[in-house]
Amino acid sequence: MRLLLVEDDPMIGESAQKGLRQDGFAVDWVRDGQAAELALANGVYELVLLDLGLPRKGGLDVLSGLRAKGNAVPVLILTARDAVPDRVKGLDRGADDYLVKPFDLDELAARVRALLRRRAGRAEPLITHGDLTLNPATREASLAGKPLTLSAREFALLEALLDRPGAILSRAQLEERVYGWGEEVESNTVEVYVHSLRKKLGTRFIRNVRGVGYTIPRPE
Amino acid sequence: MTSIRRQLLVGLLAVVLIAGLFAAWGVYQRAHEELDELFDYHLKQMALSLRAQSFEPFAGGPPGIEDGFDFAIQVWSQDGIRLYFSRPHAGLPNRARLGYATVETSEGDWRVFSIQQRGVTLQVAQPMAIRQRLAAAAALRTLAPFLFLLPALGLLVWFIVGRGLKPLVTVAGAVKARTPAALHPLPDRGLPEEIQPLVTALNDLLARLERTLGAQREFVADAAHELRTPLSALRLQVQLAERAREPDERAAAFSALKQGLDRATRLVEQLLALARQEPEAAQQPAKRVELGELVREVVAGLEPLALAKSIDLGVTRDDAGAIQGDGDGLRTLLGNLVDNAVRYTPAGGHVDVAAYRESEGAVLAVVDTGPGIPPEERERVLDRFYRRVGSEAAGSGLGLSIVKNIAERHGARVVLDAGPAGKGLAVRVVFPRAPGD
Repeated sequence: MRLLLVEDDPMIGESAQKGLRQDGFAVDWVRDGQAAELALANGVYELVLLDLGLPRKGGLDVLSGLRAKGNAVPVLILTARDAVPDRVKGLDRGADDYLVKPFDLDELAARVRALLRRRAGRAEPLITHGDLTLNPATREASLAGKPLTLSAREFALLEALLDRPGAILSRAQLEERVYGWGEEVESNTVEVYVHSLRKKLGTRFIRNVRGVGYTIPRPE
Repeated sequence: MTSIRRQLLVGLLAVVLIAGLFAAWGVYQRAHEELDELFDYHLKQMALSLRAQSFEPFAGGPPGIEDGFDFAIQVWSQDGIRLYFSRPHAGLPNRARLGYATVETSEGDWRVFSIQQRGVTLQVAQPMAIRQRLAAAAALRTLAPFLFLLPALGLLVWFIVGRGLKPLVTVAGAVKARTPAALHPLPDRGLPEEIQPLVTALNDLLARLERTLGAQREFVADAAHELRTPLSALRLQVQLAERAREPDERAAAFSALKQGLDRATRLVEQLLALARQEPEAAQQPAKRVELGELVREVVAGLEPLALAKSIDLGVTRDDAGAIQGDGDGLRTLLGNLVDNAVRYTPAGGHVDVAAYRESEGAVLAVVDTGPGIPPEERERVLDRFYRRVGSEAAGSGLGLSIVKNIAERHGARVVLDAGPAGKGLAVRVVFPRAPGD
């Protein structure tokens, strides 16, 4: 899951990025409003973590601009402004959640997962597909009740494919979802992960649509 | 407690009473003079009218004497024997000087007129008390209206003054209704012009209070808000340290945590410094501060930081002499400027500190070879909590606003410019020329 973190404070940005990466998210970090708008124009993010007091362009303006363009990406506001009118304003401008600084890293990750779950139309915290169960909170997976060991990248790839079962994701799309900026991507890396996942889940679990990408078919 | 109303009342009544008494006294004097003239004439006429009579065969009173005026008549023969005494008044002398005279008797003063005619001395006398009584009656008639007027005047003054002072009560009520949270101006419409200046002055004070309080509230809110940022970072850094499994990962997390703590500590110190240097804070009396010494002291103190960053920090001039000021404040001012310069200048750069004198007055200058500040931002960086976009060093945004506060207290200007050759930043603090410099 690829997230955009918009935060001008270097220490908070660095720590939040690091913590969220440890929780299995691909996190890109920008430090001002204009950079956030540029990054969002790509449309590759599943969720945006937005600070309000940003240089160059305020967080609320970025949010309004985003919604005005019809971009429905979930936005979680991270701010030191805790007054009720501020929160109301933030939510009314189109934010999906509001977290006041100083916040807890685990709570942040939990809220991110909750928003992503809602976005995928699931109320269940667990992602299930046939015999496979993924727990995004603990990054644990099980197949037919037996624990399944997955690397963080494997988990992320599987999570991306299960987000909308039946949809075909290109290699580039998968890379975007699994890696943040600055993370090294080897040329055949998606193939490597698909290969190892097929070994663990069975060769037919992930299908390759030649020349288009990969998909996990909807269960019949 | 003094009361304007009571003072006015007592004062006015006293003046009216004194005026009345003066008027009565004047009337009394005047009436007395006129009565003297009139009665003297009367005495003379009576004496002249009596002289034709023969007093030897006198029996009973002479005709034509009205008792109301209390005349006394004496007649003496040529050889001094009293021939006649209309009514014996013991005090009247048995001898008479011709013409008018006032004699003292045991019954008070008498006015006497005597003439001599054919060997007989005729004297007509009348007590002065009658004239005094008549004059006093006239004086009293003059005084009476004043006396009647006094209570009415008193009531009138009481009411008018009370009405006149009513706006004061209203103003007092309005002032009472003001609280630190509600310092809106007092209503100043329809006020008497005597109270208007008071209300204007009060409104001025209220406005200044509101501004000061507002600034304080804003400062506290800003400070709390600003403290959240380093605290948020600390919390995240602590959590990352907790999560760290590998030794090198943990070391990195703790190093970040330490930096976070340093930043939070620095912010708190800067907030304290700012609060201490607020223009409203109680200030030390100005002392002689040797600027050259100050420069050397501050540079020596920051040398380790400069060394750690491989920056060439040094003093170029220290011949500014002394100024009157707050030594601690000036040390903070220069310390912040040099600290900023060292922090923002990349390794290998120079920071030059100087204290010198130019035509305007003493100058403290810090010139660095750092990234500088574009002209459009030079005003704003002096504002509280203003942080420049993309500045890597995590500053509190307070350093330069502390400098500005201290400079303002010393009447000095803070001038930001590009360094020599248009590179870096040159900050000059220009002190005003002291009188007698």
